[in-house]
Amino acid sequence: MEELKTSGGTIQFIVIRVGDEQYGIDIKYVDNIIHVFSITRVPKVASYVKGVINVRGEVIPVMDIRTKMGLAPAERTRDTRIVIIKSEQQGYVGLIVDAVREVVTLEVDYIEKMSYDRTGKDMFVTGVGKHQGGLISLLDLNEVLAE
Amino acid sequence: MDVSQYLEIFLDETREHLQNLNTAFLDLEQDPENAETVNEIFRAAHSLKGMAGTMGYKRMQALTHHMENVFSEVRNGTVKIKPNMVDILFQCLDALEEYTANIQESSDEGTNENQAIIKLLNDCLNGGSGGAAEEEAPEVEEAAAPEAPSSLSESKWDEIALDDAQRHVMLEAVKQGRKVYGITVKVQESCILKAARSFLVFKAVEEGGEIVVSSPSVQDIEDEKFDLDFTFIAVSESPLDKLLTEIKNVSEIEDAVGAEMTIAEEEEETPEPTPAPQKAATVSNPPAKAAPAKVAEEAKPEQGAKQEKKGNAKAVGNRTVRVDIEKLDVLMNLVSELIIAKNSLVSASTQNGGESNAAVDSQIEYLENVTTSLHESVMKVRMVPIESVVNKFPRMIRDLSKKLNKKMELQMSGEETELDRTVVDEIGDPLMHLLRNSADHGLESAEERREREKPEVGSIFLNAYQDGNNVIIEVGDDGNGIDVDSVRNKAIERGTISPEQAVNMSDKEIIDLLFLPSFSTAKEITDVSGRGVGLDVVKSKIEMLGGEVEVKTKLGVGSTWTIRLPLTLAIIQALMVEVGGEKYAISLNTVTTIENIAPSEVKLVQSEEVIHLRGTVIPLIRLNEVLDIESTRKAHENMVVAIVKKGDKLAGLVVDSLMGQQEIVIKSLGKFIGKNKIISGATILGDGEVALILDVNVLI
Repeated sequence: MEELKTSGGTIQFIVIRVGDEQYGIDIKYVDNIIHVFSITRVPKVASYVKGVINVRGEVIPVMDIRTKMGLAPAERTRDTRIVIIKSEQQGYVGLIVDAVREVVTLEVDYIEKMSYDRTGKDMFVTGVGKHQGGLISLLDLNEVLAE
Repeated sequence: MDVSQYLEIFLDETREHLQNLNTAFLDLEQDPENAETVNEIFRAAHSLKGMAGTMGYKRMQALTHHMENVFSEVRNGTVKIKPNMVDILFQCLDALEEYTANIQESSDEGTNENQAIIKLLNDCLNGGSGGAAEEEAPEVEEAAAPEAPSSLSESKWDEIALDDAQRHVMLEAVKQGRKVYGITVKVQESCILKAARSFLVFKAVEEGGEIVVSSPSVQDIEDEKFDLDFTFIAVSESPLDKLLTEIKNVSEIEDAVGAEMTIAEEEEETPEPTPAPQKAATVSNPPAKAAPAKVAEEAKPEQGAKQEKKGNAKAVGNRTVRVDIEKLDVLMNLVSELIIAKNSLVSASTQNGGESNAAVDSQIEYLENVTTSLHESVMKVRMVPIESVVNKFPRMIRDLSKKLNKKMELQMSGEETELDRTVVDEIGDPLMHLLRNSADHGLESAEERREREKPEVGSIFLNAYQDGNNVIIEVGDDGNGIDVDSVRNKAIERGTISPEQAVNMSDKEIIDLLFLPSFSTAKEITDVSGRGVGLDVVKSKIEMLGGEVEVKTKLGVGSTWTIRLPLTLAIIQALMVEVGGEKYAISLNTVTTIENIAPSEVKLVQSEEVIHLRGTVIPLIRLNEVLDIESTRKAHENMVVAIVKKGDKLAGLVVDSLMGQQEIVIKSLGKFIGKNKIISGATILGDGEVALILDVNVLI
C-alpha cells in the first residue's frame, strides 16, 4: 500500500456507501469527515440542500447525496457521516452519506472511464475502479455539486 | 540600486501627488492666475520627477520634467495658462496614471514615450521663453546625481539644507538689519564633554542672536552625536569677529570659522528654475535629503508658510503606520472568533442551572464590554474616508461636460465620511455610473434649461453623511428627472409588464423597473427616458455590499439617488427571535419597536393583514409563512411583532418569541446556497449552533 501511494500512477479514493452502492471520492477534494450533528435548515432552497452546519467556526452548507441521486431519504444511523468537500467552484460543501468505509488506492490503469451518455444515477459517475475484486463507482463531484 | 522595496511607497506617494495634481489642475482651470496653485503643481511635478528618476522610470521622469518646465515658466510669468493648456495637462495626468498603473502591475512603466504630449508641452513653452528646457537639462542631471561628498571645506554652512521656514526667518532677520552667519566650530580632540562645550557655544551665540539651523541637529549635538566639528547658521546683531571671539573663548574649542551669508530675496527676478531647493522642500522625497541646497538659490519667501504647513503634516504623518489590509482582515477574524467564544461563555454560564455566580457574571459582563470596544476599534481602523474614491469625480464631470457639450458643476460634500475599506473599494463604480447618468441623461441641454428658466449650468451633487449605523450617499442632479409615463409605456411595449399591471402600479414601482437587468441593457430606453444604463449593475453591487439604493425623482426638477450602506460588514448587533423552534437573527438597527398584538387587532386591507399602530397602518409579515414552518403559537394567542423599517417603509414581523439582543458575527452561507433572497447570512451562536440572519430589506 505505502509504495503505491507514492507512485505517480495511482489515485486515492475515500469509499462511501450510499444505499447499496459503493462510491469513491478523490481524496484530494476531501477536507474532513465528521459525524452528523445539528443541521440548521435553510428555507427556500433546493430539496437536496439540508441546511448549514458549523465546522470549526465556519458555516458550511450540507446536501443529502441520496436526495440528489433521487433515492428515498434514509434514517440517520450511527454510520451516517458528512464528508466535507472542498470544491473550487462551490467552496466547502458537506455531503451526507450513509457510511464512510475506507481509503483505497487505485492504479489509474484499473480505472475504466464511463461513456458519455450517462443517465440516472450514473450521471454522477465518471468511471469505475476495480479494487480487490469489487467495483467502486467514482463520483463526479462537479456533477454532484451542480445545481 | 535595488529599489523594489521602495516600490510600495513610491506608488503610494505617486498616487497622492497625482491626486493633488488633479485637484490643482481643476482649480487652475477656474483660476489660472492663482500663484499658489501654480506653485503647488510645480512642486508636485518636481517631486514626481525626482521620485521617478530615483526609481529608474525614465519615461515618467521625462514627462514630469517637461511638465515642470512649463510650470517653472508659468511661475516666472513668462507663460500664461490658457484653457487648452489645461486639457494638455490632463492628458499628461492620464499618461502618468497609465505609467503608475503599469508600474503597479509589473513594476515596469511600459514603453509609451508619450512624445505627443511632450511636444504639446513644449509648444506651450514656445509661447513663452524658448530654450528653457535646455537651460534646465544639465541641472536635472545634477539633481539626479548622488550626493556630493561633503568636503571639510570652511564653507560647510553652504551645504546645510534649509527648509522654507528657516529661510523665512533668515530673510526676516536681514530685513530687520541683522546679519546671517554661517559658522563652523571645531572642538579639541581631547575634549570630553563635547555636548557641554557646544551648549556653551550656542549660548554665546544666542546672547546676541539666534541659531536658525545646525548640522548635525541640535538634538544630535546635545547627544554628542557628532565628530569634532559642527556647523550652524545663525542670525545676529553682533559683528562676525565678535561672535567668533566669543565662541573661541569657550574652553576646549579649538577653532571657529565663519562668514556672512547672503540670502537672495528677490527670487522672482532670477528666472532660472532651481530644482535643488524644491528637493529640499519635499521632505517625503528620499533624494531630497541627498540634494544639497544652495542658499543663494532658495525659492521665494512667500512659499514659506505653505511649506511650513507641509512640514507639520509630515510630522503628523510620522505617527501613522501603513498596515497591509490583509493583516487587518486577520485581526478582524480574530475579533470575530473572540466574540463567538465570548457568546459561548455567556450561554454556558446561563445554562448552568439557576446557580449564577455573581463574580463570573460580572467578569463576563466586563468581557463583553471589552470585546465590543475591541470590535469597534478594529472596525475604526478599517475605516477610510470615501475621499479617495470621490476625488476623481470632479475631473470626470469636467471631461463629460466638454464631451457632452453641456455646462455642469459637481458639488460634493461629506468626502470625509468613513466607510469600511472593503466597501470604499467597491463603491466607486456604482457612484460613477450614477454620476454619468446624471450628466448624460439627467441634465437637459442648455437651450432646454433656458426655456425652463433653470440656471444654464446644470448642477450635479454628491453628498455623503453618516446616519446611525448606516452611511448615506446621495447622488443627484437638477435635470429633467425620470419620465415615469415613458418608462411605463416602454415597459408595456417590451412586455415587462402587462397594460393591466401598469395601471395598478405606483410611480415608484414603475421606477423600480429601471433596476431590472432586462430593462437597463436595452438601448432604446435611454433615448426615451434618459435612464437605465447599467442601473441593474449599480443595484446588485450595492446589494452585494449589504446596502440598498432608492431614487426620488420629479419630472422637470431632477432626481436623487440615495445609497444606504452599512458601516460594517462583519459584526452587527442583532435581535434574536424564534420562529417554529428555529432561531433567526434580525439586524437590530432595522428594528424600531417590539409590539404585543392581540389577534383581534389584525385587520385586512386588500386581503393583506395589517395592524394600526399609533396612527400608522403597518402590513404584517408572518415569518413562519415566509420560512415555510409551523408556528409554535396558537392562533388565539397574542402575537409578538417586531416593527422593522426600511427607508420610510414599515412592516411588522410576526415571530413566536424573542430571545434577546446579541452581537453576532456575520458568516456567508457559502457559494453553494449563495442566491438565497431572504437569508443574508448566518452566524454561529454560543452553543455552536448556526442561526440564519434574515434580510429585512428583502422581506419588506
